[in-house]
Amino acid sequence: MSNLDNIRPPIITREDGSLHPINQTKEYLINLLAEMGFKEVHGPEIETEQFNFDMLNIKKSHPARQMHDTFYADSKKNVLRTHTSPVQIRSMLSDKPPMAFTSAGKVYRKDDDATHLPMFHQIEGIYVSEDITFANLKDLIYQILHKLFGGDVQIRFRPSYFPFTEPSAEVDILSNNGKWLEILGCGVINPIVLENCNIDSIKYSGLAFGLGVERIAMLKYGVDDIREFYKSNLDFLKQF
Amino acid sequence: MKVIYKDLINLLSEKPSKELLSAKLFQLGHEHEINDGVFNMELTPNRGDCLSLNGLARDLNIFFNNSEAFEIYEDDFDTLNINFKNSSPKDCPKISFLEVEIEENVTDYKPYLKNYFKNIGGNKTNFFTDISNYISYELGQPTHCFDAETLDGDLIFENKECNCSFKTLLGSKIRLEGKNCVFSIGKEIVSLAGVMGGASTACSPNTKKVLVECAYFNPESIIGKSIKYNLTSDAAHKFERGVDVECHEKVLRRFAKVVQDHTTIKSIKFKSFVSKESKDLFIPLDHNKVNKVLGTNLDKAEYINYLQNLGFEVSKNIKVPSYRSDIKTQNDLAEEIARVIGYDNIESSPISLEKIYEDNENNKVAIIETILIKNGFSEVINFPFTSKNEKESIKIDNPLDSNRENLRTSLKDSLVENLLFNERRQKDSIKLFEISDIYTKDIEIKQQKKLGIIISGRLGRNFNEFSKKLDYDYLDHILNSNLETKAFEIHEISRNTLDTKKKDKIFYVEIHINNIPDIFFKNLKVNKNTINFINYKPVSEYPSSTRDFSFSISNLNNFNEVIKSLDEVSDEIIKDSFLFDFYKNNKTGTVKLGYRFIFQSHIKTLSDEEINLKVDEVLEEILELDGVSIPGM
Repeated sequence: MSNLDNIRPPIITREDGSLHPINQTKEYLINLLAEMGFKEVHGPEIETEQFNFDMLNIKKSHPARQMHDTFYADSKKNVLRTHTSPVQIRSMLSDKPPMAFTSAGKVYRKDDDATHLPMFHQIEGIYVSEDITFANLKDLIYQILHKLFGGDVQIRFRPSYFPFTEPSAEVDILSNNGKWLEILGCGVINPIVLENCNIDSIKYSGLAFGLGVERIAMLKYGVDDIREFYKSNLDFLKQF
Repeated sequence: MKVIYKDLINLLSEKPSKELLSAKLFQLGHEHEINDGVFNMELTPNRGDCLSLNGLARDLNIFFNNSEAFEIYEDDFDTLNINFKNSSPKDCPKISFLEVEIEENVTDYKPYLKNYFKNIGGNKTNFFTDISNYISYELGQPTHCFDAETLDGDLIFENKECNCSFKTLLGSKIRLEGKNCVFSIGKEIVSLAGVMGGASTACSPNTKKVLVECAYFNPESIIGKSIKYNLTSDAAHKFERGVDVECHEKVLRRFAKVVQDHTTIKSIKFKSFVSKESKDLFIPLDHNKVNKVLGTNLDKAEYINYLQNLGFEVSKNIKVPSYRSDIKTQNDLAEEIARVIGYDNIESSPISLEKIYEDNENNKVAIIETILIKNGFSEVINFPFTSKNEKESIKIDNPLDSNRENLRTSLKDSLVENLLFNERRQKDSIKLFEISDIYTKDIEIKQQKKLGIIISGRLGRNFNEFSKKLDYDYLDHILNSNLETKAFEIHEISRNTLDTKKKDKIFYVEIHINNIPDIFFKNLKVNKNTINFINYKPVSEYPSSTRDFSFSISNLNNFNEVIKSLDEVSDEIIKDSFLFDFYKNNKTGTVKLGYRFIFQSHIKTLSDEEINLKVDEVLEEILELDGVSIPGM
């Protein structure tokens, strides 16, 4: 018969906490791009119109600049950045080609409905060097999407419009249910933007791309509702 | 914009199937959905020129040969004698007027006009306004119809400071404020230019004499107005994206033709006012440049062929058509060529980035995250908006609502809210943190990276910690043993002002990450996170129920068996289970185990009966063991 002295208390277990799934996805994407040679850069979330719009060739008449799309702050002296692109502008201004940057972080749009939030996360990359072409951009996007979704994923490029790239493309992947899903925007950096950053656009060209971090997280984890990420529900957070 | 499939293929010599048409529209960058015979187009904002049947047919020319089939009024117009003054040519460099008088009012429409209204045009209003809408659908140029008999005095176009009410032709009353481009007669505003006409000069079914206004408005002069005044306006949508400055006479001749198709014209007069002739834009012919942008190998003949098919005139230079205000540079031309080749048909060309940079350094944030996660903390991300206005707050000029008109100056309120949210969901041991940049302002805008940590409730759920509480010392120990810094101050948050009945103490700390000296991070390394994309399970929205059981084990030979069986319990409605109490009673020679089950369903609120049934099922085998019992059960 066992003696009480021989009874060992069960092992004490403690649960790990969890990094927020959006930050996990963001870190994953940053590392993926860092391994390809992109340097991570940072910039402020409160930006001037000059960096958020003008330098990126987004004209005064562009719908994105309207009060119903962009949060203006501090008596209209600033905006909450609407994308991470101004970080690229700041980085290009302080460096020389060849250069490759990635910037990730919070961005803001004046939206709030079932599928849009006033704050979300983006990650972008740019590469500026000599003789960069649209064909190179395609190769780079294939590399990224193959790493993200496997080598068999079907990819489609469509013409689109971003003032800071020309030509511009949106890229879709074929999902398991047979539907095309928009996954990223990209393009050849508009020479006007390079010139704005004091880069000789005859000698140098570049490519740029951007992804929504929530979108990637939703696809990779199978989360259907973007709002789940921001309820701060421990039953949700502890799963990741 | 909706387009009827049949109308579109009418303009194409080859008659593509819906599927083929859809594929080519996608290739050109024109997203759409198809509903029966109607294509619902979602065009990018740079392609205002495609916001019409004619525009889409033009863009499709290279695939299906656009054979324009619009009949126009061929006879000469008389000169219109109109007292018009353009006070702001900067906003409106070109404007034309057509005055038409008809013999009889028209109520019966020709099939093409009838079909347009049946399929997409919506409600008919009156003959002239209906034609105006139809012409905008065909040609993309909005026009406005004044009842000529109601215009009493000189018509003036001006960009003026307004503070008056204005009744639109649809009957809604709006208040015009700030600067607006308007048409006025005397002191009365008769039309909000480029957006919507006024009620007082609108056409009616009895109108026999119409003044049609056809203008080019600078997109910057129109943009934002329809949203500001909450007016749905197809005209504004088009003007904001840029219309064809050279199309006025053609559009008005088409207008006249549609009138002529329906009734006898008594008189027809035309006059155009040009303040600034538009200049043609030329881009050098350079197929090598396009190859350099795209990475293709096009020869010159292919290049010219593509451009001509897109409506560019090619000679020594390339002349950009007046309707393509989006084309200015060689890169724009490259995109045109790429669209017609098809993005997916351009071969990719290998690229690898030179390793220009050193590996990213370990950063403070990653180290802090690792420490906290190892200690059971969960990270949250909150929106920065708050109603709280403090001295240092940065104010949003155009907030979503008044509860979100300031940027938070601290992470505290968000984290308190997160804590209470989880307490309401029956969480009794809560450890949360958030790391975020915080923006404040005194003279200049200040950016600080802050770490906020909040704790409350049980220390843990294992039997050593279950009955102890998270407290000051716990948090102080974690921070001190890891960061060895005094750059923080933990304080208790009183529950008095919070909407909660819980009693557990709340402790909070907020740390400026940049204030932690680098030296404290010196010896800490983190591994790059290897992410595991788990398959997430939706969170149940139904309440959970807790059942605790106290086992008494007198036959110690069965101790391990009990522990093993309890650990192996797994069921759809058992969300969680764990050992929270372990006690050796030396007097009686027995072991006591406290075990907690948490029940929750994904589809309903569980009844006591359902839970009890499950409990019996789970415990049955264990309680059959010799010397194992639950006293009192």
